[in-house]
Amino acid sequence: MKIKIPPYLQKGDTIGIVAPAGFMPIEKIQTCIETLDSWGYNILPGATTHSNSQNYFSGTDEERLSDLQQMLDDRSVKAILCARGGYGISRIIDRINFKKFIKHPKWIIGFSDITVLHAHIFTNYKIASLHAPMAAAFNDGEFNNPYILSLKDALEGKPAHYECAPHPFNKLGEAKGELVGGNLSLLAHLIGTDSEIKTRNKILFLEDVGEYLYNVDRLLLQLKRSGKFNKLAALIIGGFTDSKDTERPFGKSVYDIIYEQLAGYKYPICFGFPVSHEKENFALKIGVKYKLSITENGSVLQEI
Amino acid sequence: MAEYFFNLSAGVFCTMDRKHFLAAATTFITGTAIPFKRSFARNSDEELLYRKPPYLKTGDTIGVASPAGFITHEEIQPAIQVMQSWGYKIQLGDTIGKRDFTFGGTDEERRNDLQKMLDDPKIKAIMCARGGYGSLRIVDDLNWTKFKLNPKWVIGFSDITVLHNHIHNNFQVATIHSKMTNSFPDDWNLAEPIQIETIISIQDALSGKKMKYSAVPNSANKRGTSEGVLVGGNLKTIETLSGTASDIKTNEKILFVEDTGEYLYSIDRMFWNLRRTGKLKNLKGLVVGGFKVKPDDPGEEFGKTLQDIVLEKVKDFKFPVCFDFPVGHQKNNFALKCGVKHQLLVTEKEATLTEII
Repeated sequence: MKIKIPPYLQKGDTIGIVAPAGFMPIEKIQTCIETLDSWGYNILPGATTHSNSQNYFSGTDEERLSDLQQMLDDRSVKAILCARGGYGISRIIDRINFKKFIKHPKWIIGFSDITVLHAHIFTNYKIASLHAPMAAAFNDGEFNNPYILSLKDALEGKPAHYECAPHPFNKLGEAKGELVGGNLSLLAHLIGTDSEIKTRNKILFLEDVGEYLYNVDRLLLQLKRSGKFNKLAALIIGGFTDSKDTERPFGKSVYDIIYEQLAGYKYPICFGFPVSHEKENFALKIGVKYKLSITENGSVLQEI
Repeated sequence: MAEYFFNLSAGVFCTMDRKHFLAAATTFITGTAIPFKRSFARNSDEELLYRKPPYLKTGDTIGVASPAGFITHEEIQPAIQVMQSWGYKIQLGDTIGKRDFTFGGTDEERRNDLQKMLDDPKIKAIMCARGGYGSLRIVDDLNWTKFKLNPKWVIGFSDITVLHNHIHNNFQVATIHSKMTNSFPDDWNLAEPIQIETIISIQDALSGKKMKYSAVPNSANKRGTSEGVLVGGNLKTIETLSGTASDIKTNEKILFVEDTGEYLYSIDRMFWNLRRTGKLKNLKGLVVGGFKVKPDDPGEEFGKTLQDIVLEKVKDFKFPVCFDFPVGHQKNNFALKCGVKHQLLVTEKEATLTEII
């Protein structure tokens, strides 16, 4: 199946905003809306961005599903930005109707829990999507940083060219392939389901936040044992921030754990790439072909 | 207490020879069927092929090893004494008393120790010293050739869920899901009745006594009765086996799950994983053990109970569901024979799980 790239955005196009997972008050989405507006887009905030939910979610499953469904079906909406992750896509993914979306693909934007959407869409429909900063990343004066601006460039269709400092764990080399990946916990959680990623000949990227060290080890072993690391073109390790340790210490840093688990693979591996739950989070087009070059002077990931 | 324990033991030994004979007979019959497994036996046929290792006789040896977290010699003493009082010899593996940070020795040390115990024909059962984390790191490097020829009981829970499911999935050999050496009471005479009963249940299982358990009826239970091979374990561990060579196979089985220290949202996600990987649709029954839930962070209330979470995932299915089953990271954690056929009976008044055949 040929990969479909949704149309890039033109000035005046509409971006829909939804909260398909965790709750987020509208005040925290405001800077994001204003910034996207300043980029020349028309903004359509969905019902879940004005939720008065009192619990974890931004609305019931039905409310979150219907908001996302409307945005997927509305042809005037050219991109859907998820305001935040948290947890919630797994609860509605099998009830989303992708029929109109497949006929008229549009950019789905987000990361973390949104990994489920990215993986499901690319595995099943071969439609590219955008792993990129969400609403919170625009706050605290950060709306103009290079990572937010990388989203602007991506939406406009400017081919990405990202640079990353050298890392002692890097495995040097060059590779080309379609990009897949996202949050490690969720990619593992999807194994065995209809949304599971396929990694053969792909450049895989991984990031995670707040996981116990032993659990990072366990998740990597699951990917390894289910064959996800076998035939990669290359691997990109992003941020694994705020790792937690058990009372009986694991005895290794999170990057030590990853390095050790990947010891047997020959393809290029880049550590410390700016894709993470921190500010450092470049927009990455899942499903689009990139070239990764890793040398002693650093790494370059560019769209081809 | 001592008397109660003694009487129970006596009861067990009375039934043991017959059980042992039956187990041996089963091994012989199914042993001949094994080579044909790949060609015709799938799903419901699979249950016929589970082999029960020989039950233990007085004088048999139980090996104790640490495939995951570390344990000290001191911590393990009460377990040794109790198991010796059952008439078994105890052989401690090299990993007992070893420590490599959280692990009971390096991967190599833990693998070698477990391998020796799997291969040693004198050892009739292997009790894992404790859980924690680590079985996953060695499971693919173990050689199961001798174990397949001469199966023995592998005992443990939590992280040991890896070994249970790896063994069931690849070799169709029954195992025992139970407390481990770190859960034996320090002083048998001061132990609570539930501690005694759960530890005795290990002896009962090992010696071939037929098992029967009951759970306090929960109003959320789904009534019904069914029969199937019992499989399961720690839910998070089961999720991390998905898509691997150790993945759990649940078709036509009774599945039990338990977990500890997880947020409700995480438990919800794990039950979605069971559902979305097709592990619920052909079940014969679902047994929900203890779930020590991590409280929601303030302002992040999940808004659903454990019962809500489970019932939502099984609402399309007819099989019985039992909550509050005495298995998990808790005192009332009874020994369960996994890979062995059971009957699950859930009525308004009772919920029982009974070993059959």
